[in-house]
Amino acid sequence: MTDLFLFQLRRVGRNKQYLFFTVLLPALFTIFFTQVIGGQAPAGEFQDLAGAVLVSMMAYGAIGAALGATIRIAFDRSSGWLRQLRVTPVPAGSVFAVDVAVGALLVLPSLVVVALVGRFVNGVEFGLGTWVALVGSLWVGSLVFVALGVAVGLALDAQAAGAAIGILGTVLAALGGLWFPVEMFPGGMVALARALPSYWFAELGRDVAAGTFTGTPVLVLAGYGVVFAAAALVVARRRPLHAVAG
Amino acid sequence: MPETPALDVRGLTVRYGDVTAVHDLTLAVPRGETVALLGANGAGKSSVVNAALGLFRPAAGTVRLLGREPVAALEAGGVGAMLQHGGLPSEARVGEVLALVRGRYEDPWPLADLAATAGIGGLLDRSVDALSGGQRQRVLLALALAGAPPLLLLDEPTSAMDVEGRQAFWATMRDLAGRGHTVVFATHHLDEADAVADRVVVVAGGRVVADGTAAAIKARIGGRTVRFRCPGPRDGLSGLPGVTGTSGGGDWVELATSDAEATLRALLAGRTALPDLEVRGASLEQAFLHLTSTADGVLR
Repeated sequence: MTDLFLFQLRRVGRNKQYLFFTVLLPALFTIFFTQVIGGQAPAGEFQDLAGAVLVSMMAYGAIGAALGATIRIAFDRSSGWLRQLRVTPVPAGSVFAVDVAVGALLVLPSLVVVALVGRFVNGVEFGLGTWVALVGSLWVGSLVFVALGVAVGLALDAQAAGAAIGILGTVLAALGGLWFPVEMFPGGMVALARALPSYWFAELGRDVAAGTFTGTPVLVLAGYGVVFAAAALVVARRRPLHAVAG
Repeated sequence: MPETPALDVRGLTVRYGDVTAVHDLTLAVPRGETVALLGANGAGKSSVVNAALGLFRPAAGTVRLLGREPVAALEAGGVGAMLQHGGLPSEARVGEVLALVRGRYEDPWPLADLAATAGIGGLLDRSVDALSGGQRQRVLLALALAGAPPLLLLDEPTSAMDVEGRQAFWATMRDLAGRGHTVVFATHHLDEADAVADRVVVVAGGRVVADGTAAAIKARIGGRTVRFRCPGPRDGLSGLPGVTGTSGGGDWVELATSDAEATLRALLAGRTALPDLEVRGASLEQAFLHLTSTADGVLR
């Protein structure tokens, strides 16, 4: 399976757009938000603000990376490549597994780059254990969005999928309080934010960063993960890879 | 005990909603044979090929490739296939795609020879996204041949090729057949079937309507149509030498004939004028109509 894994990884790696939106953009946002919001804050609150922005941007980047890598399944289906693979000795199950693994792996550069920017550009100070736990927990949590991306990628055709990557990532980030903290939201929007997996994903990061582990984010994210994975399996069964024409 | 056939389709029925695309079709192809599935568009050829490759579960019937279930045979590396709607991955180089597929076969076709055979020698470093239609088709052929598999199933493999590409392609197929590979391909060109296949299986309306040597099928459906304007009486036309059927609307008369020359001589002898005379090869559709209207249609 290594050959297929490297093959797929190389393909995504060639996509400049993907690298820009999942690594560079969250890193730039991290600097931008920290300077804009942090610049107005009293000296004693800068660390808290910079830490909060960092966690939000790590979550934003991870969601974008997970969705961007997996929704691409729709392109491979539309181009006929998935069908082509079915008539080679490559087992169908491994194609699916590799896409999940590639999606999960590609979350990591985004998390690490934003963390490094937070540490060395914005001067966020966590203990080493906290850094590792933060990256690790968000990495595991991002599997929820890998599952969501697989479901969406299988359900949509190429054109709709291309739009979905951007729209879904933006909606989850904006409404889940990743760009502007939920505390700034009016009442109704707060309730909406708390219904979104992106909010709980960032909440997981905030818990880990603060060292106040509550468990609620883990439970909510696990619930979403199960729902998205089930949705992906249902769609995979309903939408075969072959064309019925001819 | 007889050898297991390379392709063994029994009682295959394929339905898409209310439409039955393949009716209870049975076809066995012994190892080493080159067989053309000849039929017009919509005849059910692709459905037979796709079902044979296990791309979907048929409504009824069984398929065995080299004695195994289709998916098992594919995963064991015994089959190479070209699909009508197959595709290549974006953001990849031709050589990488080829390496991925070749690496999955135990004894892959040597790269340089494979690239030369498929005519993609200069394309290995090229991005897949930069290929023309004909080049894509050749890369897809290379993927089908990558493992030098004993059985090749090809669904209209030459549809995007120019004349030269076609000739090179069929030379390759004849060469493979000569080395003992079994080649089964779908086409709607009688000439193509005739040029390559030992055996031609004519499919129409999801059924096998004729099955025989290329020569026998060609004699059967390779007739001519004689067409001319005939406002007057038409008595005796159907009794002329070679004529197998008459049709036509308005002033026009169309004679289907198995011997155009004899029919024309008789016409010229009996008439003073044949305005707007045309002699054409019978279209495959006409040939199929003729075959399907014949009692059981099966030669052999």
